[in-house]
Amino acid sequence: MSTTAPHLDAPEAQTAPSAPPHAPQSRRPKPVARVVLHVVLALSALTMILPFAWMILTSLKTPADLAQFPPSFLPEDWAWSNYSEALQAAPFATYFRNSMIISVGHTVITVVFGAMAGYALARVQFRGRELIFLAFVAMLMIPTYTKIVPQFLIVKFMPLFGGNDIFGQGGSGWLDSWWALIVPGGLSPFAIFLFRQFYLSLPKELEEAARLDGAGELAIWARVYTPLIKPAIATVSLLTFQDSWNNFLWPLLVTTRDDLRVIQVGLAVFQQEGTTQWAYLMAGTTLATVPMVLLFLFAQRYFIQGFTNAGIK
Amino acid sequence: MRSRTTGALAALAVTAAVSLSACGGGGNAADGTTELKLLTPIFEGESGKQVLEEELLPQFEKENPGVTVSVDYTDYGSLNEKLTTSIASGLVPDVMMMGVGWIEGFADKGVLQGLGEFGIDYDELSDEVTAEVLDAGMWEDELYAVPIMLDTRIGIARKDLLAEAGFDEPPADWEEMREYAVALTERDGDKLQQAGLDVMTLDPRQMFEVLLFSNGGSLFNDDLSAPAFNSPEGVEALQYVVDLVREDRVEDIGYSSADVDTYPVVNGRAAMMIGHNDVWVKAQASNPKVAEQLVPFMVDGTEEAMFHGGTLVAMSARSQEKEAAAALLEFLTSAEASLAASEQRGNVPARTELLESDYVQSNPMVQFAMENLDKAHPEGGVPEWLEIRGDFAAAVEAALLGQKTPQEALDDLAADAQAAMDRS
Repeated sequence: MSTTAPHLDAPEAQTAPSAPPHAPQSRRPKPVARVVLHVVLALSALTMILPFAWMILTSLKTPADLAQFPPSFLPEDWAWSNYSEALQAAPFATYFRNSMIISVGHTVITVVFGAMAGYALARVQFRGRELIFLAFVAMLMIPTYTKIVPQFLIVKFMPLFGGNDIFGQGGSGWLDSWWALIVPGGLSPFAIFLFRQFYLSLPKELEEAARLDGAGELAIWARVYTPLIKPAIATVSLLTFQDSWNNFLWPLLVTTRDDLRVIQVGLAVFQQEGTTQWAYLMAGTTLATVPMVLLFLFAQRYFIQGFTNAGIK
Repeated sequence: MRSRTTGALAALAVTAAVSLSACGGGGNAADGTTELKLLTPIFEGESGKQVLEEELLPQFEKENPGVTVSVDYTDYGSLNEKLTTSIASGLVPDVMMMGVGWIEGFADKGVLQGLGEFGIDYDELSDEVTAEVLDAGMWEDELYAVPIMLDTRIGIARKDLLAEAGFDEPPADWEEMREYAVALTERDGDKLQQAGLDVMTLDPRQMFEVLLFSNGGSLFNDDLSAPAFNSPEGVEALQYVVDLVREDRVEDIGYSSADVDTYPVVNGRAAMMIGHNDVWVKAQASNPKVAEQLVPFMVDGTEEAMFHGGTLVAMSARSQEKEAAAALLEFLTSAEASLAASEQRGNVPARTELLESDYVQSNPMVQFAMENLDKAHPEGGVPEWLEIRGDFAAAVEAALLGQKTPQEALDDLAADAQAAMDRS
C-alpha cells in the first residue's frame, strides 16, 4: 500500500493564494479542548463499536444465557461451539467462495468501467454529455425493488444463452449461471457519479501536457488521471464490495442451485418464520463481517479521503 | 456498435412483450427421465436438506422410477418475490410450497392447478386432515393445495406462577383471562416485572386474529366481497386487548416483540401469553424446568378458537409433468413427510393419524394443538390477502397506542382492504 497521500488539490485550491504557515502554538489545540475532543471521539467510537461487541458476545452465549433477563453483558459459559455448529448448518464454504467471486467481480467491473464512464462524463467534450450525466443521476433515484422483475425478465430472455433462441425464447437464459450473478449488478450509477466528481477536480494542465507528449485518450485516462484518484477507487471498491457481499435477494432469485448461493442466503437459515436462532445468526454474521472489516482496515486511509473529497464541485 | 446495441435492446423489448410460452419447470430430460422442480421455504439448512434430499426424496424417486426432483430452497421472507419472478418469466416450479392465506391469490391468477382431476379431493382428504385446516387450500370450491405442517397460536400459561397467585387452572374464558392477567401482573413502582398476559411476543395481526376468531368474528364476509374484521365482534376483540394494555396495564408497549430470543413466559417476565406452539421447544432448549410448567389453553370469548398458519403444497398449472407433480404433492403431504417436516421445526403435523406419533406425544403444545385443530381458523380468504395483511400490524398498534379507537383503526383498515379488493 502506498504511504504517500496522492496530490488532490481541487482547481480552486490551485488558484487560491497559499496560506501563511501556521505558528506552532496555534497548530496544537489547547489542552482542555483536546481532552474534550478525545472524550467526544472516544464516546463516538464506543457507540460505534458497541453493536459489534454485542454481536460477538451474543454469538458466544448458550440458550440459557440468552434467556436471562435482564440480559447479561458477558456470557456465563463461553459457547465457542456456536461457531462450529453454525458452520454446519449450511455449506458456508461454498457460499463464502461464491460471495467472494461475485463481490470481486462486481468490484473489478465497477472500478474499470465506472472510472471510464466517469472520466468521459468529466473530461471528454461531446454533445449530450450533461443530459447523459443527468440520466445517471436520475437512475440513482430508482428503488431496487421496482427493478427486480424487469431485470429478472431481461436475464431470463437473454438471447442465445441457457437454451434460448435468438429471440430469447425456449430456455432459461442467464438464470442459474454466473452471468446472472455478476453482470446485472456490475456497474452502479453512484460509482460513475463519484468518479466523475473526482476527475472533475483534477487540473486541466496535466491533460494538456500529456497530449503534447502524444498520449491518446486511453493513455491519459489510464496513466495520467486514474493514478491520481486512488481515494475514489478505494471508496468505490469498498462500497461496491460491501453491497455485493450483503446482497441477498437477487442471488436468491436468479439461482435455484445451492452451489451458486451466497453467504447471506446461508445466514437466512437461522432466521425463519416466527423464530430466530440468535446465537448462530450472530456467529455467522461475525464470520461474514470479517472480510469487510479487513478490507476497510486495508483501504481505510484512502476511503476516508474519498469521502472528504467527494463533495460536489 | 450503436446500432447493434439498439437492435439488441429492441429485440429484448419485443421478447418481453411477446406473450410467454407455457413452459413449466419440469420436463423430459434427454435420457428419458422426468425432472421435477420443487420450491420450498421449509426443510432449511443442512439438517432440513438432509431430511428432504437424503431421507424423503430418494423414497419418492424409488416409488416413481424415472422421476427426479431438483430442489430450490428459499426463505419465507423472499418466497413471494421468488414466486412472482418465476411466474412473470414463465418458469414456475412444478411443485411449490406456500403459506396459509397465499393459495387464494395464486389460484385466482391461474398459477395453481386444481387437484380434483388428479384424484386429490377434499372429501377424501377430510378423513385424514381436519376440515378446518383443509379449507386453507381451497379457492372457489376447488382444492388447490394440501397442508404439510401447521403452526398454531394458542393461550399458554405458567402453572407455577398461576399457583402462586392461587389459580389452579388456566383461565376458561375472556373474563377469567382478564381477571387472571390483572392478578398476575407485578410491578416494582411503575416498572413492569411480570406481565399478567403477554400479547406482544406475537405478530400484532396474529394476536388480533386469535381474539377475533374466539369472539365469533371472521376476516371477510361469507361471499368474500367485503372485510368483516371491523364487525362488532372484531371491534370488541380489539377493544378487549386495548383495555388489557391501556386500562389494566397487564403489559407495557415495547415490553416484548415478535423477534425476541426468549419468550417472556420462559424467563419469568410473563405469567401467560398468547403465542406460538414452539414455546415448548424453545423452553426445552433454554430452561427444561420451565418447560414442565407450561400449560396450553384455548382462548375463549364466545367460542374456543385458535389461529393456524402453516405450509401447504401446491402444483403449477403450467407443469408439463402434472401426473408426476401430483404424485410428488401427495408424497410430500403424506404422514411420513408431514411428520419429518414438523419435527424439524417443532411444528404441528397436518395428518390426524400423527396424533399418536411419539413426536406429538412428547410435545404437549403440539399435542394440544392437534387435539383442537377443529377449532383452528386460517387467515386469508381473498386473493388480495398478501397485500392486505401487511397493514394489520399498524392498525392494531395504533389502537394499542391510543392514537385511534379500535373502531376507527379497524374501519380505516377495512377501507384500505376494500380498496385493494376493488382494484383487482
